[in-house]
Amino acid sequence: MTPQPIINIRELTKTYKGAEEPAINSLSLDIFPNEIFGLLGPNGAGKTTTISILCGLFAATKGSVMIDGMDSHTDMEKIKQIIGVVPQDIALYPTLTGRENLTFFGNMYGLFGSTLREKVRHYLCEFGLEKHADKKVSMYSGGMKRRVNLIAGLLHDPKIIFLDEPTVGIDVQSRVVILEYLKEINKKGVTIIYTSHYMEEAENLCTRVAIIDRGTIISLGNPKDLLAAHPEFKNLENIFIHLTGKDMRD
Amino acid sequence: MLLLIRDKSGLAMLFIMPVVLIVISSLMQEFGWSSLTKDPSVQVLFVDNDHDSLGMKIKSGFKGSGAFEVVDSLNHKPLTSVMAINAVKKGDYLIAIVVPKGATSTMRANVRLSVAKTLAGFGLGNPMLVNGIIFRDSVDVTIYFDPTVKKTFKNALISSVRENYYKFQTDWVFKTFNQEIALQMPMYNPPKEAFKEVLRFKEEFPSYRKIELIRNATQHNVPAWTIFAMFFIVIPLTQSLIQEREGGSLFRLLTMPVPYMALLMGKVGVYLVVCLAQTIAMLLAGILLLPLFGLPMLVLGNDLPGLFVMTIVVAMASVGYGLMIGTIAKTHQQAASFGSISVIILAAMGGLWVPIYLMPPFMREVALFSPMNWAITGYYSIFLRGGSLWQIAPQAFKLFIFFLVTVSITGIYHKYKNPFNN
Repeated sequence: MTPQPIINIRELTKTYKGAEEPAINSLSLDIFPNEIFGLLGPNGAGKTTTISILCGLFAATKGSVMIDGMDSHTDMEKIKQIIGVVPQDIALYPTLTGRENLTFFGNMYGLFGSTLREKVRHYLCEFGLEKHADKKVSMYSGGMKRRVNLIAGLLHDPKIIFLDEPTVGIDVQSRVVILEYLKEINKKGVTIIYTSHYMEEAENLCTRVAIIDRGTIISLGNPKDLLAAHPEFKNLENIFIHLTGKDMRD
Repeated sequence: MLLLIRDKSGLAMLFIMPVVLIVISSLMQEFGWSSLTKDPSVQVLFVDNDHDSLGMKIKSGFKGSGAFEVVDSLNHKPLTSVMAINAVKKGDYLIAIVVPKGATSTMRANVRLSVAKTLAGFGLGNPMLVNGIIFRDSVDVTIYFDPTVKKTFKNALISSVRENYYKFQTDWVFKTFNQEIALQMPMYNPPKEAFKEVLRFKEEFPSYRKIELIRNATQHNVPAWTIFAMFFIVIPLTQSLIQEREGGSLFRLLTMPVPYMALLMGKVGVYLVVCLAQTIAMLLAGILLLPLFGLPMLVLGNDLPGLFVMTIVVAMASVGYGLMIGTIAKTHQQAASFGSISVIILAAMGGLWVPIYLMPPFMREVALFSPMNWAITGYYSIFLRGGSLWQIAPQAFKLFIFFLVTVSITGIYHKYKNPFNN
């Protein structure tokens, strides 16, 4: 029996004000519980727009989104309680310490007192940041900022996590720590929706990927199945280039 | 709150700047006015070409006022008109007064003729003779001012000269009448007392309560600069909002299960605390710091609940204004320049620096729409008129409505101009 999708997207379209073309165009997609789902695509393909709509940042022009059985039009506040978002940019307060940032964002998720303190301490240790917990974020390296940026989206134990290019611009060690942790929480039942430009990373991490270009899905499936369907290519990156072309995107 | 605490320069601007402004303004106003009443520090060049009663009277009037130091010689040489004009032209002195030759004789002649013409109307004297005589031309007492002299100071000085002149002329008219009547009517026995002033001018400040509220620079400046400081919260508040937006924190916050209005109210709460802290700091400066500079101590009035309510609504209005500017402005530069300039304009327009009764009629009408005018009117009710909650209610209500309007505009603008939806 096919499981019920945890995210059900139907005919999703988003056209920004003044734009001639829609950023995403009639996109339909099912994401199932416990998947690590990769949204791959070149710049401007519609990955961030899709994630932004899914996490309630703004509304779609057309279409519907159901998350864990809840309609995003009517139940967004409830949906926000079960999702965690890790934005592409470092969304932290640079003048606050790592611990202060996490405490603040924990408060926003309704976590307080010793529960929050313990969670913050646990995650800081888990990501090797305990020694730097009380330093201002502005003093952190790129990798450390990325790790705190990730923790801020995990504090409330979300059922679904959206990660928008979580490993961009960081050292290999930080990347490994982040990816290992994502695999670990996925094993515990967390569904992960992830965008990246790193095809090799996606190939190793994701249970399924969707390659998006110009707002529509041009390929969808398990990375191994995609490779099997395109035996002329050695890896996902070659398939990606084949499908999206070599033209540079803005 | 932590973000604000970490912003040392922002905090300095919010707390130190207004305290410095209160001290400087109070010193300037208090001792500026005192200098005209206690310490004769303003030197006036006085050229008496009349060498008679009128010149002497004006000079003694100036000396007697205690407000001016009369200078009638330069470099051990008696002052001449040319020397006085040159000294003012060079900026060495602010004011020079030149009483012309024949001023007293002209006044005497004209007064005598005026009296004679009046008495002739009663059949005394020779009407045919006096009606044929014409008055001498008026003479000009010229006052030379340095171009930097303020209009109010200039007017005060001219009024002082005029007052001395009219007093002298009135005495002279009375004396001349007595002399002329005595000439015409040998039986006339002139009164011993020349003249008794009918009107005395007494200063009273009606207040709502029987309390001792002294009108001085401290009572005016502390509330005025407190309001200005509270509205200047626009700068750190807008910077925080834009930094949050540009840094991505707003993106994260909007994906969290907290309504946007709740996020705004969180900001309101934090910045209200800051505004209250500012007010306490300003009031303490008025009570503890200003006396150290020889300034009068701030008297809080009798209505602390009224003062608290007024402070809360002023703080709400300023925070609401900051939220609105911070949400609408697209860049740090836009927010900083528009925020600071608009606060200065609202302050000037609202009568924080120049009382609105000194403004032209159009500006007086405009001032009534400035939230800072509502704020200063409310504070003056408490600090100067002994007002209570009831008296400040209209201003408090307007400021509260202003807060609701600005927060609503912020919410509506965010909804329709979501920064991530463009």
